[in-house]
Amino acid sequence: MEHHLLEVGGVRVSRREDLRLITGAGKYAADWELPGQLYAHFLRTDRAHARIVSINVEHALEHPGVVRVYTGADAVRAGYVKPMTMLTFKGKSGMQVRVPERPVLAHGHVRCVGEPVAMVVAESALIAQDAAELIEVEYEELPVVIHPEDALAPGAPQLHENVPGNLPFEFEAGDAAATGAAFAKAAHVTRLKLEVTRVAPNPMEPRACLMAYDAREDRYTAHVHVQGVNMMRKQLAAYTGLPEEKFRIMARDVGGAFGQRSLAYPEYCVQMLAAKDIGRPVKWVASRSEGFATDSHGRANFVSGELALDRDGRFLGMRLDWIAEMGAYLTPTGPVSHLRNPSTCLTGVYRIPALYGCWRTALTNTNPIAAYRGAGRPDIAYVIERLVSQAAAETGVDAAELRRRNFIPPEAFPYKTPTGSTYEIADLPGVLEKALKLADWNGFRERRRRSERAGKLRGIGISTVIENTGAGLFPKDEVQIEVAANGAVTVYSVSHSQGQGHETSFAMIVAETLGVPFERVQLRQGDEEHPLFGNHTGGSRSTVGAGSACHLAAKKLIDEGRALAALELGVEPSQVEYANGRYRTDHAERTVALGDLAKAKTFSVTAEGSFSSTFPNGCHIAEVEIDPATGVTEIASYVTVDDCGRVINHTIVEGQMHGGVAQGAGQVFGEHVVYDRNSGQLMTGSFADYYMPRAGLLREITMEEHPTPSKVSPLGVKGMGESGCTASLAALTNGVLDALRPLGVQHLDMPLTPAKVWHAIQAAQRKN
Amino acid sequence: MAKVEITVNGVKHAREVEDRALLANFLRDELGLTGTHIGCDTSQCGCCTVHVNGQAVKSCSMLAVQANGAEVVTIEGMAKNGALHPIQQAFTECHGLQCGFCTPGMIMAVAGLLKDNPNPTDEEIYHGLEGNLCRCTGYINIVKAVKRSAELLGGK
Repeated sequence: MEHHLLEVGGVRVSRREDLRLITGAGKYAADWELPGQLYAHFLRTDRAHARIVSINVEHALEHPGVVRVYTGADAVRAGYVKPMTMLTFKGKSGMQVRVPERPVLAHGHVRCVGEPVAMVVAESALIAQDAAELIEVEYEELPVVIHPEDALAPGAPQLHENVPGNLPFEFEAGDAAATGAAFAKAAHVTRLKLEVTRVAPNPMEPRACLMAYDAREDRYTAHVHVQGVNMMRKQLAAYTGLPEEKFRIMARDVGGAFGQRSLAYPEYCVQMLAAKDIGRPVKWVASRSEGFATDSHGRANFVSGELALDRDGRFLGMRLDWIAEMGAYLTPTGPVSHLRNPSTCLTGVYRIPALYGCWRTALTNTNPIAAYRGAGRPDIAYVIERLVSQAAAETGVDAAELRRRNFIPPEAFPYKTPTGSTYEIADLPGVLEKALKLADWNGFRERRRRSERAGKLRGIGISTVIENTGAGLFPKDEVQIEVAANGAVTVYSVSHSQGQGHETSFAMIVAETLGVPFERVQLRQGDEEHPLFGNHTGGSRSTVGAGSACHLAAKKLIDEGRALAALELGVEPSQVEYANGRYRTDHAERTVALGDLAKAKTFSVTAEGSFSSTFPNGCHIAEVEIDPATGVTEIASYVTVDDCGRVINHTIVEGQMHGGVAQGAGQVFGEHVVYDRNSGQLMTGSFADYYMPRAGLLREITMEEHPTPSKVSPLGVKGMGESGCTASLAALTNGVLDALRPLGVQHLDMPLTPAKVWHAIQAAQRKN
Repeated sequence: MAKVEITVNGVKHAREVEDRALLANFLRDELGLTGTHIGCDTSQCGCCTVHVNGQAVKSCSMLAVQANGAEVVTIEGMAKNGALHPIQQAFTECHGLQCGFCTPGMIMAVAGLLKDNPNPTDEEIYHGLEGNLCRCTGYINIVKAVKRSAELLGGK
């Protein structure tokens, strides 16, 4: 696709933010500096589960340049022990979530490798690092439990006293009895046990935080990466028991986030202790190795699924037994996203009369799990779409035809699902037919024959998905627009880009609504001088929420300006018309520009809106070719047809889709966070051990749009930042399995590494 | 401690550095050139790529003292007289960046790649970018940006 380019300062760019980012002028978390700053280094435990017998920091304190050393006792003394949870609903039989304590430095016990046990504060980062090695910790090792099924089994080592059975929360959705009855009359039942693997989100920017304390104002300033300042502030306040107004959050550029950077991590709170005690700012920049061990991981769901079909291939019911691994502690977003999002879209894109899912969360001696691009949405889509393709293979029905037969028909929207959510609008058959044509579904057999002649195995995989975009932690989104006397328009939002390009698309929305040139509109994200209520960027909701609020604010600006312009023109507001940044009336020659209204005093409006979930949907078709001699899979083609409503900026949407699909492909073909099941040691602790997608994995995506209008947002948009992840896991895995099924391979779990595929081929050939 | 003289973006800097200081930290912490990013600690990610005596180098894999007497170019030295370098131009035109964290290293690596091979094939581009990780773009538009860079540098 040819990108539509914008003119910014005489340069042709795709996005407003590009200019600073391509010239090295971006400002990321580690780029902040303050006069007099000290440096922190965390000593992290190398044990997966142990009692801390003693900590001796004496030698570290004696090390030249060391200012102070903090341990768990300091954390407990401060009362920084319990992180926030976003899980507010009740579980099975009215169960309340049991949130384990997590002192911001481990106290008494360590429960996963990498947990911080001490923080050294020193005059330089290297001194702090050296001194941390002088701290002596004596441990008494405790039994380790790594697999969530083991953790939930009777007799398992227990992680927390207040979480019996390592089960912090159990939840169910749907109707167990009705589903049981549906299965009883089924002509065919497909069963799969699937692992939605644990992966590391790995934004390219490592974590960093520069924490300062102002004694005069009794206020902390955190320079840190965010997805939105309010979400960070709320969590820091909850963790430390301080009021929210005690925090000022500073963030400019964020080097990727993917849900992982929405969290207030314990380290930041330890830095607060030091910044206040010592009276100097404290800077910490994590290494990637620390990131692998302690930045939240994603997915880690273990699901047994059953799909019941009648004789004609119509779905009668689906039943899921779902274990959501949580790691050693609960993050604010982990449990809620891995339960609510899958249960909201439990029926997928299908009319399934009876549904039942039971979710058990499980604590293990591993790094905590949190939202990762999709946050449960790719997980449920993967489970359903694997089941449907497996059912198609077992019953001998074409995988596209089985989907077609079971889609929620267009006329059934808005569709109330059996688990209580309402899908707004979609044209699933339209999406499917377009994708089948684009992928030349019918020509696959011939392409497979050609591959066979070349000694290769070819498969085609499909997934048709729908997802709920985030309704948000805060019930409304505010946007402020300010006009300067020279006509410059500044827009303020809470929603904070981590690469999505808000500065471009939000400015486009405001420029279009006001009818002024794009160049005149600037976006400021998370500006603490302009505090606003509203949500962070997450759950694919930014254009739906903050983007819509931009539109509403621009309209409000026009309306309020009309009254002011009428005064200037000496007419009634009803006699004033607005177009392209200017008010005019039939009763006077003179016109009034927006900027004219800001001459005497600032002309500014704040608008708000509440926006519920939208339901983007789509069909992805992946064709793969496997070399049986090596087990290497190549993605031969990848087609997407997505309905994300009206598109504001096609270039950005295309980029989001590329990135999402690539993250899905990474998970399918190699990414996997692995802990040793006996010792709890992290086996994938660096980019040397952990697979990351590289150039060439995904060579091209053929994309088309199939929008249906959403009324959730006045812009008609639906969220789409996570669509690529949601659809690609199943499309690619189904493609590989389609290639291997003729050999007798029915099931493989991700990651589909060359070794795993090769072994599967070898085993199948031995059997044959 | 060791004394070094390193020319960065045409300006000579004399400093005393710790023996173990990495070139990446020297550029960021001593000179404040924070366009060079550090994305890992095992020299896989390539975010810190700069040019040392005309060669693309991961500045985390080199000590500052090893760069003594060298000519270093960082991302801040690529645009000249207010005009973007053609590779910078290509990255924005092709939407080859999202969060921008890997971008400076990518641009410096691509400059190295195209210097050795002005018209690379797709396979040669994939190979040439093996040492640079991006988490946002899926690389499709980065590969396009490399091809567009080759065009612009070739005067097309």
